[in-house]
Order: sequence, then C-alpha cells, then structure tokens
Amino acid sequence: MRLNASQITKIFGHRTIVKNVNLTINPGEVVAIFGPNGAGKTTFIKILATLLHPTSGELDIGGMDAVADYAEVRNTLGVIVHEHLAYPTLTPFENLRFFGQMYGVNDLETRCKTLLDDVGLSRFIHEPLHIFSRGMTQRFMIARALLHSPSILLLDEPFSGLDASAKQFVVDRITQERQNGKGVLITTHNIELGYLVGTRFLFMINGELDEIAKKDEIEVETLLRMYEERLINTTSN
Amino acid sequence: MKALRQIAALIRKDLGLQFRSKETLALIFVFSVLVVLIFAFAFGPEFPTEKTERGKLAASVLWAAFVFAGIITLNRSFAIERSHGALHGIRLTGVDASHVYLSKVISNVVFLFLLEIVITPIALQFFELFDDVTVVTLLKLLGVLSIGTLGFCAVGVLLAGMSTSTNGGESLLSVILLPLVIPIIMGGTKCTVSILVTGGLEDRFWLMMLVGSSLVFLASAYLLADAVIEE
Repeated sequence: MRLNASQITKIFGHRTIVKNVNLTINPGEVVAIFGPNGAGKTTFIKILATLLHPTSGELDIGGMDAVADYAEVRNTLGVIVHEHLAYPTLTPFENLRFFGQMYGVNDLETRCKTLLDDVGLSRFIHEPLHIFSRGMTQRFMIARALLHSPSILLLDEPFSGLDASAKQFVVDRITQERQNGKGVLITTHNIELGYLVGTRFLFMINGELDEIAKKDEIEVETLLRMYEERLINTTSN
Repeated sequence: MKALRQIAALIRKDLGLQFRSKETLALIFVFSVLVVLIFAFAFGPEFPTEKTERGKLAASVLWAAFVFAGIITLNRSFAIERSHGALHGIRLTGVDASHVYLSKVISNVVFLFLLEIVITPIALQFFELFDDVTVVTLLKLLGVLSIGTLGFCAVGVLLAGMSTSTNGGESLLSVILLPLVIPIIMGGTKCTVSILVTGGLEDRFWLMMLVGSSLVFLASAYLLADAVIEE
C-alpha cells in the first residue's frame, strides 16, 4: 500500500508549521526524515496518521482520500507518536486486547501474547503500563502499532530515550517490517540510526521537506555533514 | 454487529477503568455524602415537620449531590482518555466517533446510577423521609433519577470531550454544563418532590420536560460527537 502526501500545509494560529510538503512512501521502503526539534516532524506525522487535519493539501493512502475518509484508512496505519496511545493503568495485555477488539483482530489472545513475546515483554504481561521504563514503553508501543498488521508504519522518534539494546531492537524490528513489505516512515534527529534503518533520506527544517538521497547514493558521513551544514545555515539565516 | 462489539468493548473498558481506580471511587462517594451532610447540617437538626417541605429539601439535595458528582465523573472519564493520548489510540482504530460517544454516555450513566442507588437511601435517612418511602416509591425515584442521569450524561459527555482538551477544562465544564442542564435539573427535581411527597407523579408536565430534554440532548449530542472527538 502506498502513501502519497501532496502539498500538505498546516497552520496553527499565525505559524505555518508544515509548508507545502510532498512525500510518497512506497511498500518495502523506510523513509527517514531528519530534523531538529520544532521542525514540524511530529505535526507532519500526525497529519499522515490522520490525527490532525491539514490546513491544505491532499493525502492519499491506498487510493483513498485520507483527509475526507480518515476512518477508512486508519486501520491500515501503525503509528508511534510521543504519547503512549494507551491506558497507563491497564497492563500491556489488557491494552492490546482492548485495541485488538476495536480493530477486530482475529484470534486476539494468541496475537497479543505473540506480540508481547516478540517485543520482550512477556514477563511483564500483568504489570500496569505506568510502571514501565521508557524502553519498555517503547517496546509496548511497537507491539501496539503492529497489533492489526498495518501496511504502513509511521514512527515518530522511535529511538528517543532508549538504551543501546532497545535501540538495536527497534532497528531490527523496523528492518524486519520493511522486509515484510511494509512502508515505513521514521522521524528522528539521530542521523546514524536513521541511516542504519532508512532506505531514503529527507531533511525537514522549519516545516519544509527536502529530499536528499537514497541509501545507495550517499554515505552516512556525507549525510551527517550535509545535515549539520543545513542546520548551521538555517540558524545563521 | 461490529459496531455493537466495539461499543461493548468501549463500555467494558470505561467501567473497568472507573472501578479500578479505588481512590476516585472513594472520592466521588465521599464527595456525594458530604454534599448531603452539608445540607443536612445547614438545615438541621430540626427539619420541617411538613412532608412537602422535607420532600423539596431532600429532592434539591439529591440533585445537587448527583450533579456535582456527575461533573467530577465526567471530567475524570475524559481525563483518562486524554492524559496519554488513549483517545488518539481509539481514533486510530477507525471506530466511529458516535460509538465512542455512546459508550461514554452508557458507562457514565451506569456509574452514576450505581452511585445514586447508594446515596439516595442515605439522603432520605438524613432528611427523615426514609421510613415514609416504600420499595415501589424508591423504584419510581430511581427511575426518574436514571432518566435525568441519561440527559445529564448525554450533554455532559459531549462538553467534557470539548472542555478537557482545553486549559482549565475541569472548571470550564461546570460553567458550560450547568446552564444547559437546567431543564433536566428542574424536571428531575419537581418529579422527585412529587414522588417523595405523594408516592407518584402528580404533574406529568415535569416528567415530559425531563424525558423530552434528555432525548433532545442525546440526539443532538450524538450528531455532534464526530466533530468534538475528531477535533
């Protein structure tokens, strides 16, 4: 399933957060968007996830108009944003079971247990989410995003606040999902990790998105240097 | 069928979360008892000898207690959804916003009705009316309270959905909800007085007002649910 965003703009009050952004996510690719804090990455990903309406622009997901028919496309998306998108007083199993019922997932109990096992949380199946560390919560959020086997994953800062082993886990999981034919979008300001999982790289600075290169066209050092130069230029302007 | 399954799952989740938080349960119960006590202390220890006057007093206290407890319950019900983005999680499942609205109304009505079952006899005892009330009268009373609770929650859920997404939402809910539910409070209180004093409904107008306003609120809020939950 393909996601195609065209001329997306989002204005809050007098501030334009996202400016005429175009982006396509194809099946089997990981699009990595790099940008500093406040660049508009989270707003953009929330628009793609249909959680925010764009001020203008078109969003096509799997041939459907996602701005008008948002309810139809939502179950094709797996989303991670800064919020948990879950209930902290419920256990991970209870959360997955509830959201699975809402999605209409078949053989739900088995699916929940398998996913929690996959993300390494099977020992904590009966503990409430609010006692989880950042890394454990992120693992749960990955399980929650994959619960209904979505075609497209939208992951906002999936590496933030994670230790080395948790980061490796997220890298492996994203790679696995790409190999399974899913289209993945990640936003991050960690160039090395983004390069590791990404197949196509873009910069988002001040709400504007620039396509940089595909993975086989650029080395990580070049990407890092370009990013730093772009940040310096933006700051000096 | 899918809609019913989703609504049932949402109600189970809402009630589960409400009852899991013991401190909130205790807070709402104690708060309701305190409202009754404050009125009892303010008007007591000698209550009017006329049953009509005592009936008016008890009816006012009951509705005041339930309205205030209802505001706390509604605020909490949506605070749970907003605090960690759980409502976004629900939206992402593609569920119809009207299903979310209906389930919230039903779960809040059930929760408040259980509270009313506990608080009503306590309030009647404080205002020396409990011995005059038969089981049938008590059932009629709970019937009126349940209709009023439905109307209150119908509009309250919608406004709580709006107000909890703003700064100072908890105070805002009281300010915007109370003027709107005046027809429900008026109709409900008059019906309650009539049931407590005569054991039945003397004037059907107030019952019509209670039922009519509750249904109007429910229908209009149902139609507006999508705009509130999606924004």
